[in-house]
Amino acid sequence: MIDIVKRYPGVLANDHVNIALERGEIHALMGENGAGKSTLMSILYGLQSPDEGYIRLKGSTLFLKSPLDAIANGIGMVHQAFKLFESLSVWENVVYRREPRRGIFIDGARARAQVEELARRHGLPIDPKARVANLPVGVRQRLEILKALYREAQVLILDEPTAVLTPAEVSTLFTVMKSLAAAGCTILLVTHKLNEVMAVSDRITVLRDGRVSERLVTAETGPDEIVRAMTGHHVTMQIPKQPRKPGKVKLEAKGLRVEQHGRRVVDDVSLQVSGGEIVGIAGVAGNGQSELIEALMGLIPIAAGTVSLDERDVTHKSVAAHRAGGLSYIAEDRARTATAAAASATDNLVMGFHRTPPIAVKGLLRPKAMRAWARGLIARFDIKIASEDTLVGKLSGGNLQKVVTARELAHNAPVLIAEQPTRGVDVGAIAFIHAELLSERDRGHGILLVSAELSEILALADRILVMYEGRMVAEFARADADEATLGLYMAGGTRV
Amino acid sequence: MTVAAEVRTHLARYVGPLLPIVGAVAVGFGVCGLIALWVGLSPGLMLRQLIKGAVEGPQLFETVARAVPLVGMTLAAAIPLRAGIVNLGADGQLALGGCAAAIVALYLPAPDFVRLAMALTAGMVAGASYAALAAAGEIYAGVPLLLSTWLLTYPAKGLCGYLVRTSLRDPLTAWPSTARIAVGARLGSLIPGTPVNRGFLLIAGIAIAVIFIDRRSSIGFELRLRGLNERFARYGGVALHRQTLGIMIASGAIAGLVGAIMVLGSQFRYTDGALTAPQYSWSGTLAALLAGGEPVGSVIAAVLFAALQTGGFAMERSVEIPRVLTMVLQSVVILFLAMRGAIWKRP
Repeated sequence: MIDIVKRYPGVLANDHVNIALERGEIHALMGENGAGKSTLMSILYGLQSPDEGYIRLKGSTLFLKSPLDAIANGIGMVHQAFKLFESLSVWENVVYRREPRRGIFIDGARARAQVEELARRHGLPIDPKARVANLPVGVRQRLEILKALYREAQVLILDEPTAVLTPAEVSTLFTVMKSLAAAGCTILLVTHKLNEVMAVSDRITVLRDGRVSERLVTAETGPDEIVRAMTGHHVTMQIPKQPRKPGKVKLEAKGLRVEQHGRRVVDDVSLQVSGGEIVGIAGVAGNGQSELIEALMGLIPIAAGTVSLDERDVTHKSVAAHRAGGLSYIAEDRARTATAAAASATDNLVMGFHRTPPIAVKGLLRPKAMRAWARGLIARFDIKIASEDTLVGKLSGGNLQKVVTARELAHNAPVLIAEQPTRGVDVGAIAFIHAELLSERDRGHGILLVSAELSEILALADRILVMYEGRMVAEFARADADEATLGLYMAGGTRV
Repeated sequence: MTVAAEVRTHLARYVGPLLPIVGAVAVGFGVCGLIALWVGLSPGLMLRQLIKGAVEGPQLFETVARAVPLVGMTLAAAIPLRAGIVNLGADGQLALGGCAAAIVALYLPAPDFVRLAMALTAGMVAGASYAALAAAGEIYAGVPLLLSTWLLTYPAKGLCGYLVRTSLRDPLTAWPSTARIAVGARLGSLIPGTPVNRGFLLIAGIAIAVIFIDRRSSIGFELRLRGLNERFARYGGVALHRQTLGIMIASGAIAGLVGAIMVLGSQFRYTDGALTAPQYSWSGTLAALLAGGEPVGSVIAAVLFAALQTGGFAMERSVEIPRVLTMVLQSVVILFLAMRGAIWKRP
């Protein structure tokens, strides 16, 4: 890709970016949120066209008007959110739109044979007849890769491929990536996880503010140098932690069960969070964590069990009652649940404070106090926004996350549920938010932390619970937990 | 912040949202002009007669008199709409309010002034309780408000119709209606010699209160944020059920008050179907939709509709341009605004 320039209103997303991929290499593309990774990727996959610059593949210049053009030129992509037909089988998903035919009919037998052969050749074991809906996430990803290979992809773009995988699945994926590269396939790995880049890539291109800030050879560099290239300054990755001083139990759930479509998505879960501790829930996304949290918060109905706050029963009570009882909540779904996109930053930041001084006196809002409040939080959390009147729907994911985290931390509530509190946030801000969470803990507040990032759980939690298929399958004190053991339980290895 | 920047933010905040409405009204007039041309009428003449009929001389008071119930019904529609819910039962609440007001004004043994005050209160209470019934249906039994409010209209109108045909019937008239309310218990004229009665003050007061609450109170904040994202409001700790109940009580009370004002201020008796015949609740819903439930815009739209309607009547009488054209105008304006999602929101 040569001299790529892409402008959006007010933003220069890609500013003369050059990136060269060599045949058979694994090339990592890194950068903080808003650095221009996504834009560059969508240009390479034909989702967007560049304002300036062009793409050359094996000496010929490409003009990609759509992903169909990209696929025709041997460029494949595995998106973060898989694009599969859940109700169809594996082989049907693979051959879709390129079915081997006999007359007007699809030659199913031949298609299955082709898929089987392709899977064997690339070391991607999969049952061609399985229904996608029944497959675990790691296998679905394998299927996405097969789809691209079936379309003879020479260049494969992987967008944050490990976000949904267990550690074991991650290492399988890395093996696959390496063997694909050895077979001559070029892989562009887009990620923000340093350890993965170090483990699997050959070369690294780092973007910052739409420009290439550094080109590195993996074997000759280290995590510190990459972080410096991403942020422009040095960030300490380790946060000093005080020993914990647990107080009395603040949040307690007993035998909690949540049913959805007749399935127990949360099954007999009991947990306690005391003041002065951070309890981490580890688990691969989609094993009932979101449902557990929403049930704890009163957002979805509880089928059985109880929830109590400070020894007062709040089971089946409204969210309002939970909040009044001293619970605040950083919701995972920041765009749909935790903010109102069409409302200003002020409105979003005062939500929950809008009935009490200084924001409201005797039921009447104080506009000046509202703005001052919003400006204060924007400054403290370094939210990049034009003004407090700007609609939050215009913010990038990381900044929107900061709006949510800022507001919920400002509640200063005895118990905080933090669900993916740093997802999509840049490295510098992650350190800041982690420090804030720890100081909440040190002030004697209890925190229930749900994160798909094991590193985040390991960095913050005092106790770690592992959730698998709706159940708590293990509990560790921080000192007894390590990535390998947790990974085993996350994959459903053993039950307690 | 500099003065210029402050002016700009205020413009963006208060004038910006009005631009699509002004545009839609302009297009509406344009379309009606074209229709007039097509059937061989002069668009200029049409426009002149419409404006004259709406604001010239005594016609201005006709417009004001029509605006009183129309603004009231618009507010009754706008309050729920602001929170993203719909009260389709305003007609039922209007009829019950009017009927209850008539009963109290006719039969309560009390001094005139007390009777009038009690009649107005009865109208509000009747409308509010009936709307609360629909809210309770949604909260406790899961009947969607859209359905319950709408379906409850028919029993309400039916009950009032039954009463004025049986026990309340005035045998001196040919219509199914109550007896005439004594002069002392009526809402008197505000400007003598015009159809504008003191109900104007009541509705104006309510409009100001609604606008103030919407802009400046915690309740208004919760209402607006729910309209923008209901999930967020619930997540943020807004007690949605209690809010729904409050919204419906406020909306029903205003609809009931409009019924009481129409009975006590201009019709002086409850006649079956007379309150709902002018279709104020539909015009009100349209006006509120036009402004997306924002109260200032809703009131402006309601006054505009009132002017269009009186202007339309006058135009029909004076130059025989059918009044239907003003209904076409209203419809085009609404349709064009409904398209704004596609047209105006493009960057």
